[in-house]
Amino acid sequence: MTESYPDLGRDQAPAAAVPVGGDVTAAPAPGGRALWIDILGLASVALILAALYAALVVAPTEAVMGDVQRIFYFHMPSAWVALGPSFTVVFICSIMYLAKRDLRFDRIAGASAEIGVMFTTITLLTGPLWARPIWGAYWTWDPRLTTTLVLWFIYVAYLMLRSSTPEGHKRARLAAVFGIVGWIDVPIVFMSIRWWRTIHPTLITGQGMQMDSTMQAVLMFSLGAFTVLYVYLLIVRVRQLDMGSRIDRMRQQLLMR
Amino acid sequence: MSEIGFLFAGYAVIWVILGTYFVFVGRRQSALRRELERLERDLQAQA
Repeated sequence: MTESYPDLGRDQAPAAAVPVGGDVTAAPAPGGRALWIDILGLASVALILAALYAALVVAPTEAVMGDVQRIFYFHMPSAWVALGPSFTVVFICSIMYLAKRDLRFDRIAGASAEIGVMFTTITLLTGPLWARPIWGAYWTWDPRLTTTLVLWFIYVAYLMLRSSTPEGHKRARLAAVFGIVGWIDVPIVFMSIRWWRTIHPTLITGQGMQMDSTMQAVLMFSLGAFTVLYVYLLIVRVRQLDMGSRIDRMRQQLLMR
Repeated sequence: MSEIGFLFAGYAVIWVILGTYFVFVGRRQSALRRELERLERDLQAQA
């Protein structure tokens, strides 16, 4: 994922602290190590391990589904991180890019989409493993499952578009439009279990959350742990993309000397 | 496969995907840092 700016022009210079041709070595290193990021990384791993313990040991066994229901405590938070923060950040940063023409928003959107696809993959693979002993089938063309699969394809296509187009404002514009239009599927996935007949469990109904209080606490803890993990991964990936951009400018500076 | 088998498979999938992504991010970080250090050396040598 090397970054290059083949189409640099008057209005296409990368939005960064250092202009092309400036002294990039004097700029702060965006990919340098920062203690607080390492601490956040360790905290996110510790929280995920604690969530695993809570899911396998603390949560009571579900009366009808049995132990296989424990997949839920990682399945649902994966779906939350993908549909909630990840793809919504892509949507917001795409709008921000189009409004401000700042490539930093494009990089945040790209990093968030990548993490969102990873968590959607987890959701799509763990769901069938939970469904098989309960429904008797790994997959059904249920509205929730189908719209989630469509969402996965949309953001895989988004990442393919990004990787197949040279970096710069042209790619950022295309990706931003894709990121905004693609997000339309997110509320459809969320509402699918309300709009159509489905066999997918409905967690939150008009009467609130239909769960035992310990199960609710474990779920909330797991949701928090996955959200912290998302924030950590996003920070690390955005810093890496910033670093790649800085490397590109340094290469150009070397060529110009 | 038993119920426990599906539970194990589910969590195995999660750890494999998360682990693979962490390795990708870690390797990318190392490669970027090496490249940055090399370019900084080259720029200082040219200055």
